[in-house]
Amino acid sequence: MAIEEPIEDKEEAVQQTAERYKVRIEKVNGWYGSKRAIRDVNLNVKEKTVTAFIGPSGCGKTTLLRCLNRMHEMTPGAHADGRVVVDGIDIYDKSIDPVIIRRRIGMVFQKPNPFPTMSIFDNVSAGLRLNGMNNKTIIREIVEESLRNAALWDEVKNDLDNPGMSLSGGQQQRLCIARALAMQPEVLLMDEPTSSLDPIGSSKIEELVRVLKDNVTIIIVTHNMQQAARVSDFTAFMYLGDLIEYGSTNQIFMNPEKELTERYISGKFG
Amino acid sequence: MTRLLDIGLQRITNLIMDMGHLSVDLVNSALESYDKGIMLRPQIFEGSEKLRFLQMEVTDFATELIARYQPVARDLRLIQSFMDAAYGFSRFGRYAYDIAEVLETIGPFPDCDKSQVTTMAKTVKEMIELSVTSLEKLDKNASQKLYMMDDSVDSVFRNYLKKAITQTKKRNFEPKCYVSSLLILRYLERISDHACYIGDCVHYVVTGDPSPRR
Repeated sequence: MAIEEPIEDKEEAVQQTAERYKVRIEKVNGWYGSKRAIRDVNLNVKEKTVTAFIGPSGCGKTTLLRCLNRMHEMTPGAHADGRVVVDGIDIYDKSIDPVIIRRRIGMVFQKPNPFPTMSIFDNVSAGLRLNGMNNKTIIREIVEESLRNAALWDEVKNDLDNPGMSLSGGQQQRLCIARALAMQPEVLLMDEPTSSLDPIGSSKIEELVRVLKDNVTIIIVTHNMQQAARVSDFTAFMYLGDLIEYGSTNQIFMNPEKELTERYISGKFG
Repeated sequence: MTRLLDIGLQRITNLIMDMGHLSVDLVNSALESYDKGIMLRPQIFEGSEKLRFLQMEVTDFATELIARYQPVARDLRLIQSFMDAAYGFSRFGRYAYDIAEVLETIGPFPDCDKSQVTTMAKTVKEMIELSVTSLEKLDKNASQKLYMMDDSVDSVFRNYLKKAITQTKKRNFEPKCYVSSLLILRYLERISDHACYIGDCVHYVVTGDPSPRR
């Protein structure tokens, strides 16, 4: 993996970056063909924090999120430029395997998407097996730990062989989170993870986010501003592809600097 | 399209302005009663109680707005400040009542020198009115002016306090005059502080920062 710092400062630079920022987004542009969906976004994400991306539909927040683990380029005709530096490593470097990036930077989607033909256990262990893990004892341990970390273990521990699809919507979403956690990601991207859930399911996911940030850096896209205010430490407001304002959640929701941010979060447009 | 929150904000603004105007009237009445020796304690008590109930109404309604609409940024600061200002206005009412009670308890004071009270009352009345209009117009600059006026009020109070102590040693000392003036000056000094707090609230609503003086 290529390190982007000068070689003589490499170790120090990596250490400093790791201490200060887990993810550095530098002049990132996201394109769909010739249409630029996000423009020159710069943003630094601190380790073990929750950062929320908010903004009206079409502002580019999901595109930006998908740029952070190179999912964006899987859309036909889409590409990104700029740098996304995770622990000092530019994930867009030509030498980087996107599959490895997606292992380190997990993702949870808007709608729960368990593998439909797999059991609860297999849903969580699928990624491990695909990555060559064969030790059944270790797999079992990781599955249990992941389900516990996703606050689902107590509800499914006696039904691990049942289909993943047999769970409720909220449980399915936590199953997907467990599946992502099984890969022991350092960063977890969540794209509107509660938009299809009822209030109880949503609140469990929100509680989970607060717990998970002790170990994982979380970036969450949400349309629900109260959710952003509840769960995040930092908030980025985007509008028409631009990052308008980024700051502590308290500052953004109590005293935003930009008039546009104020108007959006106050429900005066969007 | 009007936000649902805006309807609530308008209602709470109306409530707070009613409180502001009522508190101005009460303090003015109390000072006039002291000056002219007119007993108005029951009427001022009634007004003071009305302010107290209005304050509870503002708090309840503000809580409801927060719970139902989850306001943020300036909207939230406005609601938070209205709750603080409502407390300030209810204190104005309470001090107006205290002033009326001084007259009722140890008054009237036809032969007392009221010049210090009159001087301070003029400034404090101006301060109350300024605090109300600053809230109405969200004038962030009012807080600076209020602080300047508060300094002069504090100065008058401190000087009178010292003077009262030295006067007690004189033969022609009339305790009723000094005690009544001292109490009323003290109430006016407290009103002046609360007017400043209301100025702070306005500053906070507009800028998002607490008053630089705090």
